[in-house]
Amino acid sequence: MTIAYSKSFDSYVVSALFDALDEPIVALADGRVIFPDLDAEFESHPNAGILAAVIHPTGLGIITGGDDGRVVWTTKDSGPIELAAHKGAWIDSIAAASEGQTIAYAAAKKVHVLDLLSKAQRVFTHDHSVSGLAFDPKGRKLYCATYNGVNVWFSRIAEQKPQKLYWAGSHTAVAIQPAGDFIITAMQENALHGWRLKDSKDMRMGGYPAKIKSLDFFAKGKLLATSGANGAVVWPFLRANGPMGEEASEINPQEGAMVTVVSGAAEDPLLAAGLDDGRVWIAELQSTGIDWVKAEKGGAITALSMSNEANRLVFGDEDGFVYIYEGSE
Amino acid sequence: MPDSAPSSTKTPVTVLTGYLGAGKTTLLNRILTENHGQKYAVIVNEFGEIGIDNDLIVGADEEVFEMNNGCVCCTVRGDLIRILSGLMKRKGKFDAIIVETTGLADPGPVAQTFFVDEEIKAKTYLDSVTTLVDARHFEQALKDGREAKEQVAFADHIILNKTDLVSPEQLDEIEARLKGLNPLATIQRAHRSDVPIKTLLNQHRFDLSKMEQVDNHDHHHDHHHHDHDHDHGHYHDNPAHGEPGHVHDEHCGHDHHHHHHHDNPAHGEVGHVHDEHCSHTINPIHDEEIKSVSLSSEKPVDGVKFTQWLDKLLAEQGQDILRAKGILNVAGEPKRLVFQAVHMILEGELQQPWRDGEKRLSRAVFIGRHLDQAALKAGFDACVVQ
Repeated sequence: MTIAYSKSFDSYVVSALFDALDEPIVALADGRVIFPDLDAEFESHPNAGILAAVIHPTGLGIITGGDDGRVVWTTKDSGPIELAAHKGAWIDSIAAASEGQTIAYAAAKKVHVLDLLSKAQRVFTHDHSVSGLAFDPKGRKLYCATYNGVNVWFSRIAEQKPQKLYWAGSHTAVAIQPAGDFIITAMQENALHGWRLKDSKDMRMGGYPAKIKSLDFFAKGKLLATSGANGAVVWPFLRANGPMGEEASEINPQEGAMVTVVSGAAEDPLLAAGLDDGRVWIAELQSTGIDWVKAEKGGAITALSMSNEANRLVFGDEDGFVYIYEGSE
Repeated sequence: MPDSAPSSTKTPVTVLTGYLGAGKTTLLNRILTENHGQKYAVIVNEFGEIGIDNDLIVGADEEVFEMNNGCVCCTVRGDLIRILSGLMKRKGKFDAIIVETTGLADPGPVAQTFFVDEEIKAKTYLDSVTTLVDARHFEQALKDGREAKEQVAFADHIILNKTDLVSPEQLDEIEARLKGLNPLATIQRAHRSDVPIKTLLNQHRFDLSKMEQVDNHDHHHDHHHHDHDHDHGHYHDNPAHGEPGHVHDEHCGHDHHHHHHHDNPAHGEVGHVHDEHCSHTINPIHDEEIKSVSLSSEKPVDGVKFTQWLDKLLAEQGQDILRAKGILNVAGEPKRLVFQAVHMILEGELQQPWRDGEKRLSRAVFIGRHLDQAALKAGFDACVVQ
């Protein structure tokens, strides 16, 4: 139950993730990728910034999208390898299919789908910019959050018209429930929107005081945690109807502070949240036990992940501090 | 919470508008190449036009969308929200941000973005809307459609460019038209977008705490209620009086009789800044469609009545009201009530107290389409405590 690592990198922390071997990897706004366990760092986007990051589909290393228009795979052994480059573009959203060897990334209205084995590339052009991407569990379908809803594409087909999940307004992030039954978006307004995929039934999930920037399904996909309130907001997906007719709970609300990022354990009802005042807590939802991982205030927490084993947290803040917390188990 | 950060820790954003060919690209190229000691991130709409390789130039898509908040004119720029969020992660790499809009763009959604999105509002502030006007083609631009007019009406700062291509008489007529469309903006003359770069930034045109006066060039010149002892320190980058590039504005409270004694280049010369001091020579020419209505009273207003009237006015006519600003003497209140509006988005707060001996004049200026002057005056007058 200690902070095992803390270091200043003097650059906004864009992403803090664990790869398949539970190796923490951090992406910084100044283009660097950090491997804290090895004390190694790479200039993955020299003289540029990282806007988005995801773990490589193989589970090894991190794929980053930058404001230099480049998509780069960085591993601790080989360093940075360029996967794609689009001059003048900003790659600000990126997703990897958990099965197969496919990634997708968005640059304004264009979504590129790249097969890492065959190098085959497809481009799906939208009417409006895409600001969130998610693959279904099999990597067959790609969900693109855009203005007025979500466009659904078959990721392996070149010529097609996308299916549209319509809801008026600007959708800025998207997450798919691990079982693949529900799609949830965060909106420009302080609300989530959801669709049950079998019948495209809408779910309006509002009541937030702030814009939602972070969504994470956890506890075997039975719970969805989000940022955007004084506490972490948790929606139940225990029944076939998902959160329809159910109420969300707000975990550990703190007056005068907002949760900016959430991350839950893949298998258990264990949730961590980072706050805009720099604090971080972890909660065991069944026992309602809450521990402060980092109780001293500081720069807003901008990135946070729980390891696959749920025994470590990696997180970072807007001032460039990176921390690793190790649990007792 | 979003509004608690003082504007000094936020990144200033200047919105640069102007009809096609007005000289925006020339100005941007100067901003990016001149050695002025400041670093700018520039958000452009046509990548190719800027002939400079710079990692802080970003292409935008002018994606305007409506907010689902029941406010029909509440449109924002989605691409701008995304780009600004990205830029904020690289804070410290640049001092300020400039957003260029296309020649045909309505500046409304751009300006509204800075008031509607809480995150953007917390990290940046809209410093000014600067509009470039091509002196030679202004007449034609006005005939082409309403864009050129609205860009002028929306501005805080107008750069009247390419002044060497028209006669002094034509120039005065254009300036009269600009004043007719927008009495609130300062007008600065230039040949090839050659205004001092520093005068573009840190204007704080949307900062209520910096609003000392609602200038109205349209008003009679015989009452000059500028505060003569006001210090000049408000605009960090405005060079001092008499120095090159100084922009005369509401903060330099000197008497207009001194007009000819300081170093403001003469009328028609490059760098001459048209302000309240020279407005006497040019009378505004009013436009049929877009005009401004200036209201004032020497008696205090009823704060509750005024707020209700303003809320109702903006709710009903906010689509047509492009900009509004005002400073009010509220009955029984030692502080001045300051407000500004962009369409339906209203910001108002009590600011510093009136000074001893200061004339407590309430005034409000509305710029918009098809404004009914008589109705506005009646509404305003009804708020005055008799």
